This record gives sequence, structure tokens and C-alpha cells, in this order.
Amino acid sequence: MTRNRAAIPFRAGVGLRHPHLPDFLAAPQPAAWLEIHSENYLAPGGPRLTALERLRRDYPLSCHGVGLSLGSAEGLDKAHLRRLRAFYDRLAPGLVSEHLAWSTAPSWAFLADLLPLPYTREALDVVAANVDHAQEALGRRLLVENPSTYLRFQEADWDEAGFLSELARRTGCGLLLDVNNLHVSAANHGGDPRAALDQMPLAAVEEIHIAGHARVATPAGELLIDDHGSEVAEPVWALLTATLERAGPKPVLVEWDTNIPALPVLLAEARRADARLREACDASG
Amino acid sequence: MRLAELQARMQRALLDGGSPAELLALFADPADQRECRLAVHRNNVRHALISVLEAAFPVVQQLISAECFTATALAFIAVQPPRQPALYAYGEALPAFLAGFKPLTKLPWLADVARLEWARNEALFAAEQEPLAAEELAAVPAGDLPGLRLTLHPSARLLESAWPIHTIWAAHQPDGDPLETVNLEQGEIARIWRREGSVCQQAISPGEFTLLTAFAAGQPLAEAAGSALAQDPGLNLPAILAALLSGGVLVRDLAGKDKPCCSH
Repeated sequence: MTRNRAAIPFRAGVGLRHPHLPDFLAAPQPAAWLEIHSENYLAPGGPRLTALERLRRDYPLSCHGVGLSLGSAEGLDKAHLRRLRAFYDRLAPGLVSEHLAWSTAPSWAFLADLLPLPYTREALDVVAANVDHAQEALGRRLLVENPSTYLRFQEADWDEAGFLSELARRTGCGLLLDVNNLHVSAANHGGDPRAALDQMPLAAVEEIHIAGHARVATPAGELLIDDHGSEVAEPVWALLTATLERAGPKPVLVEWDTNIPALPVLLAEARRADARLREACDASG
Repeated sequence: MRLAELQARMQRALLDGGSPAELLALFADPADQRECRLAVHRNNVRHALISVLEAAFPVVQQLISAECFTATALAFIAVQPPRQPALYAYGEALPAFLAGFKPLTKLPWLADVARLEWARNEALFAAEQEPLAAEELAAVPAGDLPGLRLTLHPSARLLESAWPIHTIWAAHQPDGDPLETVNLEQGEIARIWRREGSVCQQAISPGEFTLLTAFAAGQPLAEAAGSALAQDPGLNLPAILAALLSGGVLVRDLAGKDKPCCSH
């Protein structure tokens, strides 16, 4: 049976992670909505899936895919698409998203990372065809997330924002704007995140992500690593405010995936994001 | 370079550990930084996949040390990376890999302990099905009992080993008693299943193993009981059945129920 739950509200939600399942099952938690990584729940059964199906009744749910590999030159894994379709039909999530990245290479090795794409015409053709395929196979509009990057390619016909604008125009997909990724990528490539923000297809934004990152000293100088392992950094909060001013209020998700803290710490971050959202709502009247 | 070729080269560099110059030459970042930036992704790949294997094989990790487990996992990942994006299924091939992994041949029981841990992983993620309750079985008319087909819960796994795998596993649990000695000659059979969301495990007798294998093969109750008693005439069948039912190990074989099963 398909439960058609309310759309994702313009509030701060939290990424649902396994260590917090007992808290959510034990008592209602002040989370406006939840987002899961779809691939963590594709098993035939088990306690995690049972927990998710229960929580689905109480919270609006967004599904964030981490394995479809929209950037794969070989096209999408059809068996994986079928599994996702069945899963989404059962859970009826309010939003479904994937990444502007690739994870699956020739011969179908899944590398469990979000790998960078050259922003070339060939890559745009590949990603646009894959997004079209995915939207049709899943029967839903996809949101595509801007990646955090450490490498850029010499061959490029667009910058990232230009590439995403073309992708949204060609496929009708939405944009999941990850503000932390915007900050991380700009820092790693010596760019200005506000300038990148202004170039993004902001009319297509349907969801915003924020998360913590690590600052790591390397032989290549300091790199910011998108590890989702700490509180959201101050410059990212400022960039969130700038984003909400430009794009208007949107659902904001707090992600925390490594060094996962006690649930109240995560919920405090969501409260902080909610305060930014209220300011944006007041400003937009 | 075509995208497919770029992705093939990058995959090889990430899995094998090399940083070939022709790949590095494609990047726009300062030349002296490219290798280090590529290493961010290599670390991501390794960390993600090693974490999955660590979660599925915690006892193997204890048995060979964390450091050795990491080195072994890296060797495994390089030759058998995941083939599908749902990582709950990644690690199935690790036991066979361990059996043939030269540096670990001095631990011949390790692969079977890994098989046990993989069976636990499968049990955790197997499909749901309501187990057969003792009252349901009691309600079956006595005349129908011999032809009744029982089978194992979708989460149930049976593992027969020439090594004491259950004992070794149990000794490496947080609340387990450390082993003073273990008789490595003593093979064991483990029954693994999920009950109310938790994975359970028990060492069972060869007679019970025969019974459960017969159930799984679709033999009706009387025939399965006969096979088990032939294997071990002293087997206490009523006690075993009662324990299987209270443990939630059995289900009714619905596929078998509708078959014209009784030929006489």
C-alpha cells in the first residue's frame, strides 16, 4: 500500500542514522522530517527496515540515493533501478535525490565514493541521459546534488554551476544544493563560494544540505574533507543564510555520518537551521 | 579522453593503489598536488569498504588483529570490489578469499569462522516471515502430521564445520568466556537465525542438523524424522521440535502445503 504522506516541509530535518534508531523508536523526537540513504535499506528484511517502515508513519521522509552513479559512462544499473523503484513505491518519499558524481566503473565495480566528473559536453550528454533514464524508471523527479570536489579536470566546457544549470534545463531535474559542498569545493579550488552560489540554477533548488567538514593538512596544503563528522562550520552557516536569501525557504537537512554524536547534538543543529529558516521566511514575507 | 576510459583508469588507480602519470595529467590542479588529491578518494573508497567488512566480520578481525584485517581487506577489495551498490551484500566472497589467502594459511579454521559471520549477516538482512507457533502445530489434526511440511525461517542458516566455529565465535563476544583451551579436532554445527530483530546462534547435534536439512529439502515431517533417527537413534525429537518452535526457527512450507504431497 502506498502511503502518500505530506510533502517535506520547509523546516530543518535530520539524516536518520543507525545509532539513532533506538531513540526514534523509543519516543517521538523533535525532527520535522527524516532523510535516509536509500542503499542502506535495500535488504529484503531485518530490524532496520522494520524500524524505517514504522518511522515512515510518523515523519515525512526523503530518500537520498548514494549508489545510482548518474555519471557512469556505461549507463545505469537496471537491476538497481528496479530495486529503488520498488523501495520508493513502498515508502512514497516526499523527495528523492542523487549526486552529480560517479561510483560505478566499467565491469560494475561499485567504489562506494562520489567521484568527480569532468564538466564536458560528453559528460553532460552522459549525465543527462542517465537522469532521464532514472526519472523515467523511478517514475519521479530527481534532485541532483552538487558534489564536494578535491580534483578538477583540465577538460571542461562549463564550471560546476554551469554544468548543473544545463543539466536542470535539459532534464527538468531539481537541484539539491549542498551548501557545505559549495564551501568545501570553493576552498579546495581557491574559488569564491558566493560567486558559485550566484551561478547555480537557484530556481531549481528543492532541498538544501548542510554538514560538518574536516580541515586536513596535506602535502598539497590544507584540504577541506567533506566527512560529515562534526558541527556545521560558521562559514557554512553564513552561506546557508545567503542561500536562503536568494533561493527562498526550502527544506534544510543536517547530515552527520562519521563520529556520530548523541541525537540531541544533531537535533540542536537542526534547531539552529530552523532559526535561519524562520529569518528567511520573515525576510521573504 | 573518453569518459568511459577515464573512469576505467580512475577505478584501477583507486583499487590498485597506483597513481599513473597519464591519469594525473588529466587533472587541472597544480601538478605537485594531484597525487595527494587523488588519495582523498582512495582513502574514501578504502575506508568505506573496510568499514563494511569490519562490521560483518568482527570476530575474524579479533582473531587476526585489526592491522592484519585491514591489510587482508585491502587485498580482498583490490580483487573483489563490490558489484552492486547495496553494501549489506558485500563480503559474501571474503570467506573463500581467506581460505586461499597465503599469509593466513596457518589459521585453517579462519575461513569457516568467516562463513559463520557471513551467515549471521545474511540472517540479519533476510526477509520477514511469521514463525510457526507451537499452538499452530498443536492445532494440526494428528492424521495430517506425518505429511506436514515444515521448513526453515528465511533467516535460518545451518553451517557444518570441521572446526569448533561456534565455540571460537562465542569466546570472542563481549560477554564471552575467554578460551583457556579449545579442542580444534572437535567439529561443530551452528544454527543461525533471526528472532524479533536479533540474530541468534546455537551449536546443534548432527541429528538435529539432519532433521533441519531434511525440512529444508522439502521432506514431510515423518520422513525427515526418520532420516534424523536413522542418523542418531537416541535423538529426542519432541524436545528438539519444541525448542525449534519456541525459538521461532520454523515456518510452514506454504509451497509444499498445496502440493499433492502424499502419494499414498
